[in-house]
Amino acid sequence: MDDNPQAGDRDTLARAQETIARQAEEIERLRRRLADERFAEDLREVLTLVAAGSTIASPVTHSRLLEMIVETAARVISARAASLFLVDEEAQELVFEVALGSKAEEVRKFRVPLGHGIAGLVAVSGQPMAVSDAERDPRQAADIAQSVGYTPQSILCVPLFYQDQIIGVLELLDKEEASSFSATDMEDLGLFANQAAVAIEQSRINRNLEALLSEVLESIGGATESQRQDLQEHARAFAERLEEDAAFGRALDLARLVQEIAHRGENELKACQTILKGFVEYLRLRPESASELGAIL
Amino acid sequence: MMERRPAWSSAFAPGVLQTLRPVQPIDDIDREWAWGGSTGRGIKVAVVDSGVDAAHPAVGRVDGYVAISEGPNGLLYDTEPHEDTYGHGTACAGIIRSLAPECEIYSVRVLGPRLTGRGVVFAAGMRWAIENGVHVCNLSLSTSKRDFFGLLHELADQAYFGNVMLVASANNMPVVSYPAVYSSVFSVASHDLEDPYLFYYNPSPPVEFGAYGIDVRVAWSNGGWFTATGNSFATPHIAGIITKILGKHPDLTIFQMKAVLRALAANVSRGAGRAHQVPLEAEEDEPSLDCGKVGGGSP
Repeated sequence: MDDNPQAGDRDTLARAQETIARQAEEIERLRRRLADERFAEDLREVLTLVAAGSTIASPVTHSRLLEMIVETAARVISARAASLFLVDEEAQELVFEVALGSKAEEVRKFRVPLGHGIAGLVAVSGQPMAVSDAERDPRQAADIAQSVGYTPQSILCVPLFYQDQIIGVLELLDKEEASSFSATDMEDLGLFANQAAVAIEQSRINRNLEALLSEVLESIGGATESQRQDLQEHARAFAERLEEDAAFGRALDLARLVQEIAHRGENELKACQTILKGFVEYLRLRPESASELGAIL
Repeated sequence: MMERRPAWSSAFAPGVLQTLRPVQPIDDIDREWAWGGSTGRGIKVAVVDSGVDAAHPAVGRVDGYVAISEGPNGLLYDTEPHEDTYGHGTACAGIIRSLAPECEIYSVRVLGPRLTGRGVVFAAGMRWAIENGVHVCNLSLSTSKRDFFGLLHELADQAYFGNVMLVASANNMPVVSYPAVYSSVFSVASHDLEDPYLFYYNPSPPVEFGAYGIDVRVAWSNGGWFTATGNSFATPHIAGIITKILGKHPDLTIFQMKAVLRALAANVSRGAGRAHQVPLEAEEDEPSLDCGKVGGGSP
């Protein structure tokens, strides 16, 4: 009989332990969700800024975009320093685009051959890597980091993928208040890097397109200054709406057609403008049909 | 009289049909049955990577080399001994060696400085391993280029039917990469428990196995060591375990090996229905366990 109360106590204890374990699990789940939400919010914030940035589409904005990406990544993952490299396919090199840290200016445009250190490995293998406590030969891991005058204890490096291509790498150095970056950090930074790569490529496409259209418009001799400004505005507005490579390709075709027409003479250019304007006016007046909406979707 | 059979059916004709040895019932499989006493002797393991540094004490010996690169008139295969361009292949080889100390390691270098067309070179490395009598192939790398889906799939199928066990890293990034997503390979991601023999089976693939890959102390180039995280380092743990098992059971086919690994996975419940916890104390008798732990100071 004496056993029963003890057994009861044991049951109660077991139940209590179970409850505590469940609560701990729940707390951890909530903590993670909060962290995820904060991460998602940061991600949204930077992408909103990116969208705003791409509407200006100037070289300054492009580098600002890269800076924002690095700053956000460092802040979200709690890293002390960070850098971003883009791949120069032709030279087979990594180009140092952004470095957060005291020697940022010195290393701008610093080049590293593909196959150098952790960043070089990540750029060719496509596999992210985290390194902590580099021993014996820290230069092997941190050669690039050392060039910025910073020797890290831990490194987290992920590739930037865009349409199956590695366009660069994002590297974080030294996790705040921890000896190394975690697997969750790697996952989060990977997710972030995918978004960042899209933003970088789109910004680059916009920048290239605008430069091209400007060139085309410069070459149109017959247009008056106000006409050119007008066209420039249209070109800019057009560039802002570009989101995909396919659209970029179509824009290129359009730009080439306009250029060819302009080279034929002033009358041809005027005719082209009249036709385009007429077509645009017709499109504006035309009621949208259900099938057209379907086509847009 | 000529017997008429549909295409592909001759293997099942009387007199041709092979009799095979039965395998131990899966429920009875334990580590002792699987690899007790095995050092991986007689098993050839290819490390398709950045090269392997034979001089690193964690590796000890490399039994063959091939470095593949693109030349002006096609691919070049250099079988002279080479170094590790990064340290990554040495890290993988060191882990495999620690688990299967007497296996043969072959360095198939497909990553290198100024590497171009690496998908093609990578595929050539896999093909070399498959066609040169290798038993296990460690692939701690992948490509996410869709262009290579077909080519690598064909190679993975060729490996499957040739019983070459491809052990492939899942990408740590949220991207699909090949060959890890193919069902014929042993795809591996990471857990953080510091036990080289502990692995999990994932009933919801594409990634089937989880092995020690977080904060792993690994060999690197120039005799160095790192503590590194990545599925790249979980993969050679599974490759090493497979090598050990093959050392004792060389006739196992790929699907049998998967069944054996699943039976040994730490998250497979046994007996009383609770999750199986790996009896670490049982490992004290395991001769290669010490080798399995790379820590304890670099030589």
